[in-house]
Amino acid sequence: MVVGDYLLAGLVAMLTGLDRVALIQIMISRPLVAAPLTGWVLGNPLVGMEGGMLLELLWLGRLPVGAAIPPDDTQVAVGATVLALSVGHLLDLHGMPMVILAVLIAIPLGKFGQVFDRLARHVNDRLALSGHDALMTGDTNGLERYHLFGLASFALASLATAVVIVLIGSFALYSVAPLLIGAVRETGLSLQYSLILVGAASLLGTINVNRSASLFCAAFIGTMLVLWMR
Amino acid sequence: MSIVLARIDSRLVHGQVLEAWVPYVNADCIVVANDEVAGASFHCMVMQAAIPSSIKLIIGTLEETASILSSADLLKKRVLLLFTNSEDALKVCQLGVSYTKLNLGNMHSSAGKDRYTCTIALDQHDIEKLQQVEDHGVTIVSQCVPTDREQNWHKLIRSGGR
Amino acid sequence: MKEIRLSWLTFLRMYLRSFLLQASWNFEKLQNLGFFYLILPGLRSIYGDEIPADVRQRHGAYFNTHPYFAPLVAGTTLRLELLSLAGEAPAVDAETYKKMVMAPLAAMGDALFWGGVRPLAALIGLLIASQGSLWAPVVFLVLFNLPHLLFRGIGLALGYVQELKAIETIQKCHLPDLAIRLKESTTVLIGVLCAYLSFKGCEHQDISAAWGFIQLPIVLLFAWLAHKGVTSLFLV
Repeated sequence: MVVGDYLLAGLVAMLTGLDRVALIQIMISRPLVAAPLTGWVLGNPLVGMEGGMLLELLWLGRLPVGAAIPPDDTQVAVGATVLALSVGHLLDLHGMPMVILAVLIAIPLGKFGQVFDRLARHVNDRLALSGHDALMTGDTNGLERYHLFGLASFALASLATAVVIVLIGSFALYSVAPLLIGAVRETGLSLQYSLILVGAASLLGTINVNRSASLFCAAFIGTMLVLWMR
Repeated sequence: MSIVLARIDSRLVHGQVLEAWVPYVNADCIVVANDEVAGASFHCMVMQAAIPSSIKLIIGTLEETASILSSADLLKKRVLLLFTNSEDALKVCQLGVSYTKLNLGNMHSSAGKDRYTCTIALDQHDIEKLQQVEDHGVTIVSQCVPTDREQNWHKLIRSGGR
Repeated sequence: MKEIRLSWLTFLRMYLRSFLLQASWNFEKLQNLGFFYLILPGLRSIYGDEIPADVRQRHGAYFNTHPYFAPLVAGTTLRLELLSLAGEAPAVDAETYKKMVMAPLAAMGDALFWGGVRPLAALIGLLIASQGSLWAPVVFLVLFNLPHLLFRGIGLALGYVQELKAIETIQKCHLPDLAIRLKESTTVLIGVLCAYLSFKGCEHQDISAAWGFIQLPIVLLFAWLAHKGVTSLFLV
């Protein structure tokens, strides 16, 4: 990957990061979109989508309720895609096993996102105070300015998270990938499927419906029978 | 009747309660104990609109809710009890409603209150009232949503506010 | 006194500004600046450049609701301001109205959009993604944003036209019940997805698809654990 690619990925990190809370919220921040988007600007959307699919399921069940800040699934998706492509290119390792390793390494690094996000919101505390002061003196233009400054702190927090995930993740992935890639390849699809199943299960467990277990079982058995009979 | 969760939350019925706590404690009845809200019909209507029809909503003054909670009406219900402040929680306790644990969710910061966590701000008055609630044999914990770690309120107070 | 009307351009501005509601989200007052920013075009049409201090005071205060419901609140708030300016006394004034509706509407939005529409749209996207098609993110975005973008616009208009009665209209839509229907549909799709992937897994490893049924209790066990508050990361 060349420098231009990293810059593009950084731009995607900021755009998708802003979409999480601060700007528009059309859900390009979801892993299912953010990861293939990152992959697309780096020339390989399919790798992004494979990682995005895993992450989307793992985190679908988490609701952003109230002031609680969830781990940054957006930057994990962006970071994992960058990792899979850059380190994969470096070591000449490709395919699903590499994506799985990148995702597994990026997930715990998502915790950094919470730190940066919290920091951004504390910076905004000050902005809000200044904005409120401007408002009280009747300076509505000042309020608009301070309000929009908030976008900068959110964008920087997202970029910082992505950079940390990619930096730490690159070292980690570069050192463990050659050791673990064989094992991941051997377990092959089953590891991928078990990740997906865990994601599905966690979504199922957090969904707020009484009949969820019976609905799920009925749909599972029905689909299985249809596929089997075919 | 069993009170599956008693919570102080200045926002009353909102996402954390409906999306996180209701499924977690499996509640099928929400009781809002607040004198002011009980008298505001528009406020009651908005809250009713936010709650699915499978969950019963009761909004009453402190005394009304205390008598409803001790009546036979809610015998088979799993009740989630909401207050807006520490004083109401104490009063309902004194009116004879027994709950074993009090959850501190959101307590807004305002002038003169110290902030102990992101969502909890208390002043000396709050601390006194909560102490009296505890003297009734109630465990007081802070936990915003079920996935957060539950923390005893003394630990919170000791760590100091800002 | 001449009756003040807000032009469609003002409404368009507010619609667009609603996408920036949370630009300065902060722990102190959450969306306070955002909400003022959102209704500012309306306030400027009403009061001109000199917005009275009491108006500035009440609309720069603590505010927090679901971002997609904010246009509805903005519409009603402006209408209530106009009514009280015209000397009528609405049953609930703008300040109290905001305080009363923000939390319940936030709950409705969380349930409907974060808990209902988004998982359903994402699951449909995931089913397409499991076929390896790059249309998956596109389908997800379209399915999610059609209701989202419409909802913002309809909310703004409804709030302005019906003022306090807009909440009655919302109540008649039974949105929380709709959210539950959507969640049930999501549950069915999770079942379909899991079955499909288990089947494909078995096929890939050349074992009888009957083994796929074993996945069912495993997923249910994990789901039960997740329900008990074990995070998905721990399960991995």
